[in-house]
Amino acid sequence: MSIDSTAVTPRRQVAAVVVAAALLGLVFAPSVYAVTNETGDTVAVVEIEGPITTALADDVEAELAEIRANDSVGAVVLKLDTPGGAPVASERIYKAVQRTSQQPDLPVIASVQAVSASGGYYGMAPADDIYVLPTSVVGSIGLNAPAPQTTQPIAGPSGPDKVGGNEIEGWARQQTLADTFINAMMAERGEEFQMPREEVAKADVYLGTEAVNNGFADEIGSLNEAIHEAATRAELGEYRVDTRETGPDSRFPFLIQTDTQVVAVYANDPGYGEIEPMGLSYVHLGAVPHVETIERFSKNDLEAGSGATNGTAAVSGGGSA
Amino acid sequence: MNRAATLAAAFLVTFATVTGGAAVVGFASADGAAPAPEIENEHYLQDDLIKDRTPGEANVEMSSDAAPQTVVVDPGIEPSRGPIGPLALLGFGGPDVTDRDIRPLANALIENGHEVRVYTPGESEQRPPRGPDADGPTPLGEELAEADAFVTFRTDYDQAELEEIETFVEADGRVVMATEPDAAFDRPGAASLDATLGTTTKPGYVYNMAENDLNYQRVYATPTDESGLTDGVDRAMFATATPVETAAAEGDELRPIDGSELSTSRAATDAPLLVRNDGVVMIGDSDFLSPENAQRADNDVLIGNLADFLASNDRNPDRQPPTAGGTAEPTGPTGPVGPTPTDEPVEPPREPPQNETSG
Repeated sequence: MSIDSTAVTPRRQVAAVVVAAALLGLVFAPSVYAVTNETGDTVAVVEIEGPITTALADDVEAELAEIRANDSVGAVVLKLDTPGGAPVASERIYKAVQRTSQQPDLPVIASVQAVSASGGYYGMAPADDIYVLPTSVVGSIGLNAPAPQTTQPIAGPSGPDKVGGNEIEGWARQQTLADTFINAMMAERGEEFQMPREEVAKADVYLGTEAVNNGFADEIGSLNEAIHEAATRAELGEYRVDTRETGPDSRFPFLIQTDTQVVAVYANDPGYGEIEPMGLSYVHLGAVPHVETIERFSKNDLEAGSGATNGTAAVSGGGSA
Repeated sequence: MNRAATLAAAFLVTFATVTGGAAVVGFASADGAAPAPEIENEHYLQDDLIKDRTPGEANVEMSSDAAPQTVVVDPGIEPSRGPIGPLALLGFGGPDVTDRDIRPLANALIENGHEVRVYTPGESEQRPPRGPDADGPTPLGEELAEADAFVTFRTDYDQAELEEIETFVEADGRVVMATEPDAAFDRPGAASLDATLGTTTKPGYVYNMAENDLNYQRVYATPTDESGLTDGVDRAMFATATPVETAAAEGDELRPIDGSELSTSRAATDAPLLVRNDGVVMIGDSDFLSPENAQRADNDVLIGNLADFLASNDRNPDRQPPTAGGTAEPTGPTGPVGPTPTDEPVEPPREPPQNETSG
């Protein structure tokens, strides 16, 4: 009734409503457009730092999966500073980087800081390019393992390989594990390596200056240069950098080598639950201190506090177990 | 009502058209984010990736039908530590060669009627500090005096023992010496023993990245020529071996296969791993004859040949004692039969102590 009382004709009423709707629609249109057409204007920097453990692999996998699903990320840079670590954790990072690298239109560049060796090299190998600083250390493609030993018969277990095992079978298992790593690296970078497989398998490490010549790396460059190159490849123009921290918040674990193997230590004054023998590992031992070195430098602490003495004894015990 | 419905419909249609249009344009112009394809990592599925873990079998046989001989084995057990401590089970602090390590060789000798004596100096017989005025043969010398052949894994003999070993070799005793690359790091005396036996060891170890027995340090070696030591051996396996050499003509018996390199030079090497200098066989590895390693390649044949080598000697302990000081002189009447000339050069070193004690 009120409509009839106005002087506005029905045609004008419809026009007014349409204009109002159009205006309202224009207000929402940009956000709708943005949701459906996100421009990849972000370079994600994923940090892979410290010993490669399950916790680190969890985080790296999650970050890279999110990045693959996030259209606002146009390029990825892996910031690496790691001596390697556990074989399975290294493989998980390798697979996650490989999948990310195979995503269309998503450049992935690895940027090595001080060191990315052994398991660290494994993880970054599928990147499109590896950037190193002149004195970065890369390589060490191989397995750390103690020599398989024949032990005295142990009564109790349900089978001969439950405890102990055969020396030759141990050698075979270790060589298979080493070749799994080496074969993967040959598949990823065999065309880049300027040396035969036998030479790669020697597990040597190379400085950045040497690595760009022998195929273990592609370019000399800092993190910023790697980011810029990644953005350029993704044709981002203007871009922002989103750094993704991974791994545990603390500086633990740290790795210690004993005479027979590498152990991961999860506390400064570790108890029984804070030491993890790694057994077979993909670790560059040059970047891992020996337990005797740590004991020598912490000798004063050890003498000062009995608690610290117990803790270090636990470290030694873990190493020789 | 009709009018209100019309207006509402007009609003919705317009709004939907604008926002829907934006969505369609946005989606259409967006970069495709297709799901990643399945990744095939064929390098994880290669046939040769899984190594053959079959330990193998050993059949150590002797072809020699020599009369019963006495073979002394010195596994290098430290007298101060006792035979085997609990740490040895973990691989620390124990002898370099355990009883089970010499079993394949010892069993072959025993099964063929020979006597095997393991030289284990007791606590009271402290080995290294033998004073200059020590009298008579050393405990080792006493063992060698009754032995026909000698197998040792040690290098740190004192001067008196070295002289006894030298005399033993000169008196037709046969010696098999097995050493390790790391012996040069923690055991003194290898150079003196080398000089005594007329052999040398080279610093470093041999490895082979291209073809090996499950590890680069477990290298294969092949015979250089046909000989009694290598008869029936196509290839032998040595675990962490150091090159050994001898000045003797045609003394090189086994050389590492192609692709082998030396750790100190990182260059290709064909320096022998097993040499023979007349009655002395020098091997750059002491692990090849362990029960597990005897099952690899033709190591069992090689061990059998070594047993033959030890048993096939011209020595007669009754007439050719190793020490000139104690028992050599009383056997004077048999001198013309035995190789007396070889006894003479060895006497002077033993004489000063005797003179001192008698004077």
